[in-house]
Amino acid sequence: MTEGPGFDAPDAIAGLDYARDLGDPGTYPFTRGQAPSRRGGRSWVHRELSGEGSPARSNEQLRHLLEHGAVGLDVIGDAPTVGLFDPDHPYARHSVGTQGVSICRLDDFAQLYDGIDLANVSISHSLPAAFTVAGLYLTARRRSIDPALLRGSVINAPFFMEDYGYATLLPFEMRLRMALDTIEFATREMPRFHPFVEDTYFISDGGPGPVDEMALGFVELREVVRSLIARGLHVDEFAPRFVILVNCRMEVFTEIAKIRATRRMYAQMMREEFGARDPRSWSATITVHTSGASMTAQQPVNNVARGAVQAFAMAAAGVKAMEISAFDEALRTPSPEAHMVGLRTQQIIELETDVQGSADPLGGSYYVERLTNQMEEQIYARIREFESAGPPAQLFESGYYRSIFTDAMERHGREIADGERPHVGVNCFSIPHEDDVLLREASESKIAPDHAHAEAIARWRGTRDQRGVAAALDRLSHEAAEDGSLMPAILDGLEADATIGEMAGAIRRGAGLPEDPLTGTSR
Amino acid sequence: MTRVRVVLGTFGFDQHEVGARLVASYLRDAGVEVVYVGRFNLPDRLLATALDEDAQVIAVSCHSWEYLAYAPELVDLIAASEAPELRLVIGGSVITPDDAARLREQGVAAVLGSGATRDEVVGAVLAAAGA
Repeated sequence: MTEGPGFDAPDAIAGLDYARDLGDPGTYPFTRGQAPSRRGGRSWVHRELSGEGSPARSNEQLRHLLEHGAVGLDVIGDAPTVGLFDPDHPYARHSVGTQGVSICRLDDFAQLYDGIDLANVSISHSLPAAFTVAGLYLTARRRSIDPALLRGSVINAPFFMEDYGYATLLPFEMRLRMALDTIEFATREMPRFHPFVEDTYFISDGGPGPVDEMALGFVELREVVRSLIARGLHVDEFAPRFVILVNCRMEVFTEIAKIRATRRMYAQMMREEFGARDPRSWSATITVHTSGASMTAQQPVNNVARGAVQAFAMAAAGVKAMEISAFDEALRTPSPEAHMVGLRTQQIIELETDVQGSADPLGGSYYVERLTNQMEEQIYARIREFESAGPPAQLFESGYYRSIFTDAMERHGREIADGERPHVGVNCFSIPHEDDVLLREASESKIAPDHAHAEAIARWRGTRDQRGVAAALDRLSHEAAEDGSLMPAILDGLEADATIGEMAGAIRRGAGLPEDPLTGTSR
Repeated sequence: MTRVRVVLGTFGFDQHEVGARLVASYLRDAGVEVVYVGRFNLPDRLLATALDEDAQVIAVSCHSWEYLAYAPELVDLIAASEAPELRLVIGGSVITPDDAARLREQGVAAVLGSGATRDEVVGAVLAAAGA
């Protein structure tokens, strides 16, 4: 980073060709951004991570954010939900609703979205993709909202989330198939919705750096594109609705360069490699979640500064939507206080700075353009390395990807522990705990597990039309053993009041696995 | 002296493994034998594994609040087991100093919060193992 004279001279980007490598904002290869300009009041979507407790309690949280100027919502499920387990599962008793909202049935979606204008508010979901698309679709229909108007997105991560985020205990082939089924369904029925968010945030946070973040993300995205084309779809049918959700750590110029390189690479891949003809397929929609791993438990108030620096950088990078990891991130999902600081930070950056004065304020900087070229070169090299190592299913089986992640996690942890990576308040400029009081109370307040909700779900189970539930689950299990789309059977399952945990069990059964791999039991 | 053996994992649906993996590497570097059980562990399973493996310590890395309930449950299970000398060590950035004090009162041998160094982690596990 400090090699050379300490600045970039023009020869650092000597070969750069403006039309070929940059182009005006809004034109191929979209290095300078997806939109031609920021004029006309179009800002990025401000949102903050939310979801806690029952669907009804989370609904209050969402409404509160909208009342205070959020223009989009970002809902995350609790650990059982994201892993496809119901709140009354024996492993879930101490985690129901503590790190997100608990969702397991159709009525939960109705409660979560109650009173929210689904045709106009964009809702980003970190919830199980197939079930969320089905739940949102059915909820809209019940409220007489045309599903074609639904906005927002869902994280759809068949590759790496299993080992490095939330495990669903479904085999790789089934995860990929469900991702493709979801995209196909939404492409047809919910054309404004983004059913494929390539989430590189979780790939990288606490582990792989920016190069592998994007390389691994592209490996997944490219396989999804190839698989959809193999199913007979044209790339222009689905690519315009793809989203890439990236991380932003504290090395902000590298992060900005990463985003600019990603836009250029995405455009090249879509046009040259996958044959996209619609310019909307060429321009990557990039959103950001700022790095949770950069936030410290020590002196949480310092994280307000970190979030502001990262958010400003991301505004300068021209992202389409943003959520800031909140000051209490190291300790909990965001408190109401942290929500407000995150939202206000975005508003200050948008309204009080002149970052919106240009669609690409850093374009042409010798430093940023040199970094952008470097990132592109390094990311391409790693993509080639990963893709030539073998087919994805085989690489998951052999532990190839596992070792990449494990090594990166250990390296990252050691860099902080050994002081190689400065972390203010942690490995330098630390203060005694008794002096570390600012924002500590808000950061350390806890969300109790929602035992009442788990008990309510357990009671409700007995009141359902059991034959209808069983029939829907049998159908889903049967479909899972065949090779058609699972979406019709999932929609039927939700309408029959089957739970997400039960449906995941039926899918596992169809795939020849125990319905509940944690307890080893089957129905 | 017999080699120190530790069963290491996370509780319940706590799926953040970064800390657990880092601690595993610290312990292995220090010559400790680590039986890494990863995610999805209820207290009874951790205890059963520790008994099967003849471990001296169960170490749990935490990034969700499930430890508040599971740690005392595990302490009670250990006390009632055939190996009441087994020790429990808990660590993680989400553990506040108040929680740490309460966990120690509840019988957790050592609690490591945010900012614990490699030496502190290794030292706490070795001390719990009586090594």
